Amino acid sequence: MEVAEFRDGVRAWIDERGEELVPASGDGSVDVQLTHQRHVQRLLFDAGWMRWGWSERIGGFGGSPMLRAVLGEELTSRALVHTTSWSMHEVLGPAVAEFARPDVVQEFFPALLRGDEFWCQGFSEPDAGSDLGSLRTTARPHRGGWVINGEKLWTSWAHHATRCVVLARTGGPGSRGISAFLVDMDAPGVTASPLQTMADVDEFCSTSFVDVEVPADRLLGEVDGGWRIAQHILSCERGPIFWQRGAWLGHHLGLLLDAVDDAKSEAALGEAFQLLWAFRATSKATQDRIAHGELPGPEASVDKIMIAAADQAIFDAARALLPGTLETGDTPRARAWRREWAYSRAATIYGGTSEIQKDIVASRLLGLARSA
Amino acid sequence: MGDLIEATERHLVSVTLRRLAEEFDGEPLSIALGDFGFGELLAAEPREAVSSLFDAMGRAGSMSGALQDVLLSPLGEVVAEATAGLSVVLPAIGAQHVGTCERGTANLRGLVIGARPSTALLAPVARDGGTAWVRIAEPGLLSTRLVAGLDPALAMTEITATGVPATIVLSGSSAVSVWDAVTTAGRRALAYQILGAVGAMIDLAVTHARDRVQFGRPIGTFQGVRNRLADAYVARQVAAAALQLAWDADDEYLAAMLAKSLAGRAARIAATHCQQVLAGIGFTAEHPFHRFLARALLLDTVLGSAAELPAAIGAHLASAGTIPRLVEL
Repeated sequence: MEVAEFRDGVRAWIDERGEELVPASGDGSVDVQLTHQRHVQRLLFDAGWMRWGWSERIGGFGGSPMLRAVLGEELTSRALVHTTSWSMHEVLGPAVAEFARPDVVQEFFPALLRGDEFWCQGFSEPDAGSDLGSLRTTARPHRGGWVINGEKLWTSWAHHATRCVVLARTGGPGSRGISAFLVDMDAPGVTASPLQTMADVDEFCSTSFVDVEVPADRLLGEVDGGWRIAQHILSCERGPIFWQRGAWLGHHLGLLLDAVDDAKSEAALGEAFQLLWAFRATSKATQDRIAHGELPGPEASVDKIMIAAADQAIFDAARALLPGTLETGDTPRARAWRREWAYSRAATIYGGTSEIQKDIVASRLLGLARSA
Repeated sequence: MGDLIEATERHLVSVTLRRLAEEFDGEPLSIALGDFGFGELLAAEPREAVSSLFDAMGRAGSMSGALQDVLLSPLGEVVAEATAGLSVVLPAIGAQHVGTCERGTANLRGLVIGARPSTALLAPVARDGGTAWVRIAEPGLLSTRLVAGLDPALAMTEITATGVPATIVLSGSSAVSVWDAVTTAGRRALAYQILGAVGAMIDLAVTHARDRVQFGRPIGTFQGVRNRLADAYVARQVAAAALQLAWDADDEYLAAMLAKSLAGRAARIAATHCQQVLAGIGFTAEHPFHRFLARALLLDTVLGSAAELPAAIGAHLASAGTIPRLVEL
């Protein structure tokens, strides 16, 4: 399947389905959002679109991963799904497909694509954010399998998830002693507690693991080989996910363009669009590299820095050009602006802070040693 | 095999242009480029020609009449004469046109960059609320000033004239579309040159950050220094990516405007951060840094700066009423 043919097919299918794909103007709650996404994902899976870009080995139809970026773009640029929840299968899917035991992949992957299951990412901890390598959750050998104990933070959709990719310490200190596991969220000892955020979306959770037993075949990759998997997952965030997030930002800039009509707004709109285009330009090069079989390297830190800058610039422009709307408005649209503006505050924080990205740029791309 | 030969040839072209841009400047560079056949390369492979040469001139701090070749390329079919003896006058900094033309005489104020001996000048002027192209057959009648200014090495000429005889060679909507095409070609070339100079600024600052030791460690180990250099690098990378796509986008005019604006933005960010990292030595005339700073900031102001272009981009979006994708995967 060629990319252009796929795009045309998806567009025609979206037009054909029409209202069936459009989310009800909701309160922004995760429940409503995920229920709608499950519905859309099922339709896409049954029509086949959801399976392109994933290898046949795991229940896909094959083809370039770029097809997944195109699907995400066509959906988020029409706001048919929310960019954040649409990211979930893209964050964890590729690494699980690559590193899980074949029978585990066979069992769970189609359910992920079909929207029957949501997965979450158990990486960060209260004391291990940017310094992920210092995480303290442990996995110890137990009756031929493992037992996990610890506390994870910022586990998006954990309270709706059926499975979680957990990083836990199986060896010595630092990044070399970490392993990755695919853990059932309904296993005894797992508790997900939603966190209220300033964006008024209960997406994030604090998730605790108390004596959680995990079968041996749920280890991803090798014992003490989890860091590689974590890096793989983090680099996947720079792929199709960023492309569809850029499309989502373009959709919001379009809403802003529709909402303002005076010449005084033009500089701010142009500035925001310019940053979005700067992101799309650098991300397009990354999507091309992925299509040629490469994993995004340190260059993708540029993409992360830029999408965060564009995200904040667009919602800052909305705040500046729609005086009072975001601060005091009470219409569904005003609430959506407020929510998305607030969420954009985290753009320079999640997925590796801008400071961490700049340090990667300095070390890996400019060749500046971190210490003397 | 064909691809390999093509890739090898492209590489050779790029290496040769880089060497010429390093070795020569001004008139001698224009002559060397003429001998090399830059005009033919520009006609056959515009992207290859412009990206290689203008990046190289930006990095080397040199300039040539090649900018005139680029500006004249969309005008080739308009004027019935060989373009070799012509130069294009660009609007003064901040202006939209090079003056006005009424009843066979023009009032002009503009800039000629990439000087070469010219038998006649072409200038886009404001006329009847639109644009017209005029030909000035006797450049000797114009008042000219060699601009020393911020960047004396650029050898830019300011021209002014009141009531000079001028012939209208193109008017109406075709004059507008030709001016758009000239602007687009010029913006792309200038953006490459700006980013070349920005690359030189970053290289100088990174080398300094590695070599300069204070408090017993290279200053490049301090996060304050690292962040500044990373910001400059990111600004340049995204502008370069946008510039590459400026040849592929479905709306080339908008894409070139974006690329030029982002290149100017990178110039401003790199000028500030690299200067700060280079500190005292970068403030001296003996260090080459200031030459690249001046070149990048001056070229930023030509054909719309990073301060002016966002409003023009916003106006373009407002008139289209939609946020374009510009390219598809």
